[in-house]
Amino acid sequence: MADRTARVSWEGSLLEGSGTIEQVGSGAFGPLPVSWAARSEAASGGKTSPEELIAAAHAACFSMALSSGLAQAGTPPERLETSATVTFVPGTGITKIALTVDGRVPGLDDEGFRQAAETAKENCPVSKALAGVGEITLDVSTS
Amino acid sequence: MPRIERTAAITWEGNVARGTGSISAGTGAFTELPFSLPVRVGAGNEGKTSPEELLAAAHAGCLAMGLASELTKRGTPPGRLDVRCVVRMDEVEGKGHQIVHSTCEVTARVGALDAAGFEDAVRVADEECPFSALIRASAEVTVNARLEESDG
Repeated sequence: MADRTARVSWEGSLLEGSGTIEQVGSGAFGPLPVSWAARSEAASGGKTSPEELIAAAHAACFSMALSSGLAQAGTPPERLETSATVTFVPGTGITKIALTVDGRVPGLDDEGFRQAAETAKENCPVSKALAGVGEITLDVSTS
Repeated sequence: MPRIERTAAITWEGNVARGTGSISAGTGAFTELPFSLPVRVGAGNEGKTSPEELLAAAHAGCLAMGLASELTKRGTPPGRLDVRCVVRMDEVEGKGHQIVHSTCEVTARVGALDAAGFEDAVRVADEECPFSALIRASAEVTVNARLEESDG
Protein backbone atom coordinates (compact mmCIF):
# COMPACT_ATOMS: atom_id res chain seq x y z
CA MET A 1 0.00 0.00 0.00
CA ALA A 2 1.35 3.42 -0.90
CA ASP A 3 -0.13 6.83 -0.08
CA ARG A 4 1.00 9.90 -2.03
CA THR A 5 0.07 13.44 -1.07
CA ALA A 6 -0.13 16.84 -2.71
CA ARG A 7 -1.29 20.21 -1.42
CA VAL A 8 -2.75 23.03 -3.52
CA SER A 9 -3.84 26.54 -2.55
CA TRP A 10 -6.14 28.86 -4.47
CA GLU A 11 -7.04 32.51 -3.99
CA GLY A 12 -9.99 34.31 -5.57
CA SER A 13 -12.50 33.43 -8.27
CA LEU A 14 -11.85 30.85 -10.96
CA LEU A 15 -11.30 33.32 -13.78
CA GLU A 16 -9.42 36.05 -11.96
CA GLY A 17 -7.83 34.05 -9.16
CA SER A 18 -4.79 31.82 -9.21
CA GLY A 19 -3.40 28.85 -7.38
CA THR A 20 -0.22 27.05 -6.46
CA ILE A 21 0.67 23.38 -6.23
CA GLU A 22 2.42 24.15 -2.98
CA GLN A 23 4.00 20.89 -2.11
CA VAL A 24 4.04 17.18 -2.82
CA GLY A 25 4.94 14.59 -0.23
CA SER A 26 8.21 13.61 -1.87
CA GLY A 27 9.31 17.21 -2.38
CA ALA A 28 10.12 16.29 -6.01
CA PHE A 29 8.38 19.37 -7.41
CA GLY A 30 6.65 22.54 -6.33
CA PRO A 31 5.68 25.16 -5.70
CA LEU A 32 4.18 25.34 -9.21
CA PRO A 33 1.71 28.08 -10.22
CA VAL A 34 -1.63 27.17 -11.85
CA SER A 35 -4.46 29.24 -13.29
CA TRP A 36 -7.66 28.67 -15.20
CA ALA A 37 -6.38 30.63 -18.20
CA ALA A 38 -3.23 28.50 -18.41
CA ARG A 39 -5.35 25.35 -18.08
CA SER A 40 -8.07 26.21 -20.57
CA GLU A 41 -6.23 28.04 -23.35
CA ALA A 42 -3.87 26.61 -25.94
CA ALA A 43 -0.96 28.70 -24.66
CA SER A 44 0.05 27.51 -21.20
CA GLY A 45 2.43 30.34 -20.36
CA GLY A 46 4.74 27.66 -18.98
CA LYS A 47 2.26 26.71 -16.25
CA THR A 48 1.30 23.15 -15.49
CA SER A 49 -2.33 22.00 -15.11
CA PRO A 50 -4.24 19.01 -13.77
CA GLU A 51 -4.32 17.57 -17.29
CA GLU A 52 -0.56 17.85 -17.70
CA LEU A 53 -0.07 16.13 -14.33
CA ILE A 54 -2.45 13.36 -15.43
CA ALA A 55 -0.43 13.01 -18.66
CA ALA A 56 2.74 12.69 -16.59
CA ALA A 57 1.15 10.13 -14.25
CA HIS A 58 -0.23 8.03 -17.10
CA ALA A 59 2.98 8.05 -19.15
CA ALA A 60 5.03 7.08 -16.08
CA CYS A 61 2.65 4.31 -15.03
CA PHE A 62 2.44 2.89 -18.56
CA SER A 63 6.25 2.88 -18.88
CA MET A 64 6.66 0.96 -15.63
CA ALA A 65 4.01 -1.60 -16.57
CA LEU A 66 5.58 -2.10 -20.00
CA SER A 67 9.05 -2.46 -18.53
CA SER A 68 7.69 -5.01 -16.07
CA GLY A 69 5.89 -7.02 -18.75
CA LEU A 70 8.95 -7.06 -20.99
CA ALA A 71 11.21 -8.16 -18.14
CA GLN A 72 8.82 -10.95 -17.16
CA ALA A 73 8.86 -12.19 -20.77
CA GLY A 74 12.66 -12.39 -20.64
CA THR A 75 13.24 -9.35 -22.86
CA PRO A 76 13.82 -6.34 -20.60
CA PRO A 77 14.01 -3.03 -22.47
CA GLU A 78 17.20 -1.04 -22.79
CA ARG A 79 15.22 2.14 -23.17
CA LEU A 80 11.60 3.32 -23.52
CA GLU A 81 10.58 6.80 -24.65
CA THR A 82 6.93 7.44 -23.80
CA SER A 83 4.60 10.40 -24.09
CA ALA A 84 1.01 10.96 -23.07
CA THR A 85 -1.15 13.78 -24.41
CA VAL A 86 -4.36 14.54 -22.52
CA THR A 87 -7.12 16.40 -24.36
CA PHE A 88 -9.29 18.60 -22.16
CA VAL A 89 -12.48 20.23 -23.36
CA PRO A 90 -13.57 22.86 -20.82
CA GLY A 91 -17.13 22.17 -19.75
CA THR A 92 -16.96 18.57 -20.98
CA GLY A 93 -13.87 17.09 -19.36
CA ILE A 94 -11.03 14.85 -20.47
CA THR A 95 -12.01 13.39 -23.83
CA LYS A 96 -8.86 11.62 -24.98
CA ILE A 97 -5.45 10.36 -23.90
CA ALA A 98 -2.92 9.56 -26.62
CA LEU A 99 0.01 7.40 -25.55
CA THR A 100 3.09 6.95 -27.73
CA VAL A 101 6.03 4.71 -26.99
CA ASP A 102 9.29 4.04 -28.75
CA GLY A 103 11.29 1.12 -27.41
CA ARG A 104 14.70 -0.43 -27.79
CA VAL A 105 14.25 -4.04 -26.72
CA PRO A 106 16.98 -6.56 -27.66
CA GLY A 107 15.63 -9.90 -28.85
CA LEU A 108 12.02 -8.79 -29.41
CA ASP A 109 10.36 -8.12 -32.77
CA ASP A 110 7.99 -5.25 -33.54
CA GLU A 111 4.85 -7.35 -33.11
CA GLY A 112 5.99 -8.68 -29.73
CA PHE A 113 6.69 -5.14 -28.57
CA ARG A 114 3.30 -3.93 -29.80
CA GLN A 115 1.52 -6.70 -27.90
CA ALA A 116 3.45 -5.96 -24.71
CA ALA A 117 2.58 -2.26 -25.05
CA GLU A 118 -1.13 -3.04 -25.55
CA THR A 119 -1.10 -5.19 -22.40
CA ALA A 120 0.57 -2.41 -20.40
CA LYS A 121 -2.00 0.09 -21.66
CA GLU A 122 -4.85 -2.18 -20.50
CA ASN A 123 -3.42 -3.07 -17.11
CA CYS A 124 -1.42 -0.23 -15.60
CA PRO A 125 -3.15 1.16 -12.50
CA VAL A 126 -3.54 4.65 -13.97
CA SER A 127 -5.17 3.21 -17.12
CA LYS A 128 -7.63 1.36 -14.91
CA ALA A 129 -8.35 4.48 -12.88
CA LEU A 130 -8.93 6.47 -16.06
CA ALA A 131 -10.99 3.79 -17.79
CA GLY A 132 -13.82 6.31 -18.08
CA VAL A 133 -11.92 8.38 -20.66
CA GLY A 134 -13.74 7.89 -23.98
CA GLU A 135 -10.67 7.32 -26.11
CA ILE A 136 -7.22 6.08 -25.07
CA THR A 137 -4.97 5.50 -28.08
CA LEU A 138 -1.54 3.91 -28.36
CA ASP A 139 1.08 4.49 -31.04
CA VAL A 140 4.03 2.09 -30.95
CA SER A 141 7.43 2.13 -32.64
CA THR A 142 10.81 0.46 -32.11
CA SER A 143 14.31 1.75 -32.57
CA MET B 1 -15.28 24.61 -27.36
CA PRO B 2 -11.48 24.61 -27.50
CA ARG B 3 -9.65 21.32 -27.25
CA ILE B 4 -6.68 21.81 -24.96
CA GLU B 5 -3.81 19.36 -25.18
CA ARG B 6 -1.20 18.83 -22.48
CA THR B 7 1.70 16.43 -22.93
CA ALA B 8 4.30 14.85 -20.72
CA ALA B 9 7.28 12.78 -21.83
CA ILE B 10 9.07 9.92 -20.11
CA THR B 11 12.41 8.25 -20.58
CA TRP B 12 12.78 4.84 -18.96
CA GLU B 13 15.93 2.75 -18.84
CA GLY B 14 16.24 -0.83 -17.66
CA ASN B 15 13.83 -3.35 -16.24
CA VAL B 16 11.14 -2.44 -13.77
CA ALA B 17 12.81 -3.58 -10.54
CA ARG B 18 16.12 -1.87 -11.17
CA GLY B 19 15.31 0.64 -13.88
CA THR B 20 14.65 4.34 -13.46
CA GLY B 21 12.67 6.87 -15.37
CA SER B 22 12.37 10.61 -15.67
CA ILE B 23 9.31 12.76 -16.39
CA SER B 24 9.20 16.12 -18.17
CA ALA B 25 6.21 18.40 -18.70
CA GLY B 26 5.35 19.78 -22.12
CA THR B 27 4.88 23.24 -20.63
CA GLY B 28 8.33 23.11 -19.05
CA ALA B 29 6.81 23.57 -15.59
CA PHE B 30 8.81 20.57 -14.40
CA THR B 31 11.62 18.65 -16.08
CA GLU B 32 13.37 15.33 -15.62
CA LEU B 33 11.71 14.32 -12.35
CA PRO B 34 13.07 10.90 -11.39
CA PHE B 35 10.83 7.94 -10.53
CA SER B 36 11.33 4.23 -9.92
CA LEU B 37 9.35 1.18 -8.87
CA PRO B 38 10.82 0.73 -5.36
CA VAL B 39 9.85 4.32 -4.58
CA ARG B 40 6.40 3.92 -6.11
CA VAL B 41 5.35 0.96 -4.01
CA GLY B 42 7.49 1.56 -0.92
CA ALA B 43 6.93 3.64 2.16
CA GLY B 44 9.89 5.97 1.59
CA ASN B 45 10.14 8.30 -1.38
CA GLU B 46 13.83 9.32 -1.60
CA GLY B 47 12.63 12.64 -2.99
CA LYS B 48 11.23 10.92 -6.09
CA THR B 49 7.74 11.46 -7.43
CA SER B 50 5.37 8.71 -8.62
CA PRO B 51 2.27 8.42 -10.81
CA GLU B 52 0.08 8.51 -7.70
CA GLU B 53 1.73 11.69 -6.40
CA LEU B 54 1.16 13.34 -9.77
CA LEU B 55 -2.50 12.26 -9.64
CA ALA B 56 -2.80 13.68 -6.11
CA ALA B 57 -1.52 17.02 -7.42
CA ALA B 58 -3.90 16.84 -10.40
CA HIS B 59 -6.87 16.04 -8.19
CA ALA B 60 -6.13 18.80 -5.67
CA GLY B 61 -5.70 21.31 -8.50
CA CYS B 62 -8.90 20.19 -10.21
CA LEU B 63 -10.95 20.38 -7.01
CA ALA B 64 -9.52 23.79 -6.06
CA MET B 65 -10.50 25.23 -9.44
CA GLY B 66 -13.90 23.55 -9.40
CA LEU B 67 -14.68 24.91 -5.95
CA ALA B 68 -13.43 28.40 -6.85
CA SER B 69 -15.80 28.29 -9.82
CA GLU B 70 -18.77 27.03 -7.82
CA LEU B 71 -18.29 29.54 -5.00
CA THR B 72 -17.99 32.37 -7.52
CA LYS B 73 -21.24 31.30 -9.21
CA ARG B 74 -22.95 31.60 -5.82
CA GLY B 75 -21.69 35.15 -5.43
CA THR B 76 -19.14 34.24 -2.76
CA PRO B 77 -15.71 33.86 -4.40
CA PRO B 78 -13.21 32.34 -1.99
CA GLY B 79 -10.57 34.33 -0.17
CA ARG B 80 -8.38 31.27 0.03
CA LEU B 81 -8.76 27.53 -0.51
CA ASP B 82 -6.34 24.85 0.63
CA VAL B 83 -6.82 21.39 -0.83
CA ARG B 84 -4.78 18.37 0.17
CA CYS B 85 -5.33 15.05 -1.62
CA VAL B 86 -3.89 11.66 -0.72
CA VAL B 87 -3.97 9.02 -3.46
CA ARG B 88 -3.61 5.43 -2.35
CA MET B 89 -2.47 2.52 -4.51
CA ASP B 90 -2.97 -0.95 -3.11
CA GLU B 91 -2.89 -4.54 -4.23
CA VAL B 92 -6.44 -5.76 -4.73
CA GLU B 93 -7.04 -9.49 -4.71
CA GLY B 94 -7.40 -10.81 -8.23
CA LYS B 95 -6.88 -7.38 -9.78
CA GLY B 96 -3.28 -6.50 -9.03
CA HIS B 97 -2.29 -2.96 -8.14
CA GLN B 98 -5.10 -0.45 -8.29
CA ILE B 99 -5.66 3.12 -7.31
CA VAL B 100 -8.21 2.57 -4.59
CA HIS B 101 -8.72 5.94 -2.87
CA SER B 102 -8.30 9.64 -3.29
CA THR B 103 -9.02 11.37 -0.01
CA CYS B 104 -9.13 15.15 -0.08
CA GLU B 105 -9.28 17.73 2.71
CA VAL B 106 -10.50 21.19 1.77
CA THR B 107 -10.07 24.22 4.03
CA ALA B 108 -11.67 27.45 2.86
CA ARG B 109 -11.91 31.06 3.85
CA VAL B 110 -15.07 32.41 2.26
CA GLY B 111 -16.79 35.57 3.41
CA ALA B 112 -20.59 35.56 3.90
CA LEU B 113 -21.29 31.87 3.32
CA ASP B 114 -22.90 29.49 5.79
CA ALA B 115 -21.79 25.93 6.40
CA ALA B 116 -24.69 24.38 4.48
CA GLY B 117 -24.06 26.53 1.43
CA PHE B 118 -20.38 25.71 1.57
CA GLU B 119 -20.99 21.98 1.85
CA ASP B 120 -23.30 22.11 -1.12
CA ALA B 121 -20.69 24.01 -3.16
CA VAL B 122 -18.08 21.37 -2.28
CA ARG B 123 -20.43 18.58 -3.32
CA VAL B 124 -21.09 20.22 -6.69
CA ALA B 125 -17.37 20.95 -7.23
CA ASP B 126 -16.55 17.28 -6.58
CA GLU B 127 -19.29 16.10 -8.93
CA GLU B 128 -18.15 18.46 -11.65
CA CYS B 129 -14.38 17.99 -11.29
CA PRO B 130 -13.60 15.89 -14.39
CA PHE B 131 -10.88 14.04 -12.54
CA SER B 132 -13.06 13.07 -9.57
CA ALA B 133 -15.57 11.66 -12.02
CA LEU B 134 -12.97 9.67 -13.94
CA ILE B 135 -11.07 8.02 -11.13
CA ARG B 136 -14.27 6.72 -9.60
CA ALA B 137 -13.79 3.97 -12.25
CA SER B 138 -11.43 2.26 -9.79
CA ALA B 139 -11.17 4.48 -6.72
CA GLU B 140 -13.32 5.79 -3.93
CA VAL B 141 -13.23 9.59 -3.75
CA THR B 142 -13.78 11.28 -0.39
CA VAL B 143 -13.85 15.06 0.03
CA ASN B 144 -13.92 16.46 3.56
CA ALA B 145 -14.30 20.22 3.82
CA ARG B 146 -14.37 22.84 6.50
CA LEU B 147 -14.86 26.60 6.60
CA GLU B 148 -12.34 28.74 8.42
CA GLU B 149 -13.22 32.03 10.03
CA SER B 150 -12.63 34.76 7.48
CA ASP B 151 -10.09 37.29 8.65
CA GLY B 152 -11.12 39.92 6.16
